[in-house]
Amino acid sequence: MRARRKLTGWGPSKASRTVDIYWGNGLNVQQELLGLLDEVLSLRGRGALMTSDSKLLGAVPELDSMAVVAVLSAMEERFGITIDDDEIEGSAFATVGSLVDFVASKLPNA
Amino acid sequence: MPDSSGASIPFEAFFAEWGKGRRFCLLHRPPGAVAGAIVYVPPFAEELNKSRRMAALAARDLARSGWVVLQVDLMGCGDSEGDLSDASWDDWKLDVRCALDWLHRQTGVLPALWGLRAGCLLAVEAARELAYVPELLFWQPVLSGKQHMQQFLRLRVAANMLENGKGAETTESLRERLLAGEEVEVAGYALPPAVFLGFEHAKLDPIPGGGKLAWFELGAAEGDELSPAARSLADGWKRAGWDVAGQRLKGTSFWQTQEIEEAPSLLAATTSSLAGVTRGH
Repeated sequence: MRARRKLTGWGPSKASRTVDIYWGNGLNVQQELLGLLDEVLSLRGRGALMTSDSKLLGAVPELDSMAVVAVLSAMEERFGITIDDDEIEGSAFATVGSLVDFVASKLPNA
Repeated sequence: MPDSSGASIPFEAFFAEWGKGRRFCLLHRPPGAVAGAIVYVPPFAEELNKSRRMAALAARDLARSGWVVLQVDLMGCGDSEGDLSDASWDDWKLDVRCALDWLHRQTGVLPALWGLRAGCLLAVEAARELAYVPELLFWQPVLSGKQHMQQFLRLRVAANMLENGKGAETTESLRERLLAGEEVEVAGYALPPAVFLGFEHAKLDPIPGGGKLAWFELGAAEGDELSPAARSLADGWKRAGWDVAGQRLKGTSFWQTQEIEEAPSLLAATTSSLAGVTRGH
């Protein structure tokens, strides 16, 4: 399965780049991840309103350390990836975009 | 309990004596003719507690469709006798085999096996050792026992998780202690090596011979197909000759939610998947 990264740079800052990451049959990682966050954190639809710039750790009150554990487990199962202890850092959970990048870096490249 | 469908389904709660000590069992019988029999293998730790309601609702619905449903708390789990620290994966496989044997003798029908989460792994591992190939029903199966255990160990190190200067404990250090034969306490559960190792070696690999497998997942999205990781394993079962019906339904992950929740779509799909045909003879 092929992971295809499309980087569209626009606007003055790096933070506004759009990254569409697909896996295999066109699964959109960001979309899948926002659905996952909404479900695991019981955000009741707030997940659907987030963009890649949306801040997570420190900004979403539901995201405490136990919730991080739940999100990691859900990501492992939903995306079929394995996350080692030493790969887990606060910076991965900074924004939706950083978490998408983290997941994408673990997806298989055919 | 009030029942909107009209027919009230009785159930029996009792302790069965098999293996080491007594097992807490729940039995739902159909009001009329028996179309089939099925043993439910529950999930691990907190998932067991959170999913009891859904399991009971499904048992009731299946019984209404003609199924005799036996649910059993494994050794050291739930209301069964024994402590988790005295249990082992082999004890649990024995529990599943005893449950199947008991239900077979009760009904004259070769029972199917239904697992939720880690219960699917245990069901498959127990089924490998049976003299017949049971029909299988998977609810959101755990695909890797090793990963399930790592996720469980993470609960203990959760507070240290995001600190860049790592705490003294990691899931790896806890794993090493378990591999060295030491019991580890996690979230109030005394996890023994004999359970941990069983999980690590458990695989959702297909049982040779072929049969019928209904595989359900739940998700927030409307999508129909199993998630990519599950689909890949399900394809392996198809290649081994199994008739696999996989479906991802819209519903809440009731085995892990804060509040006790239900997934009606899963109940409906399960009942219709198992409905109609008389089996197990």
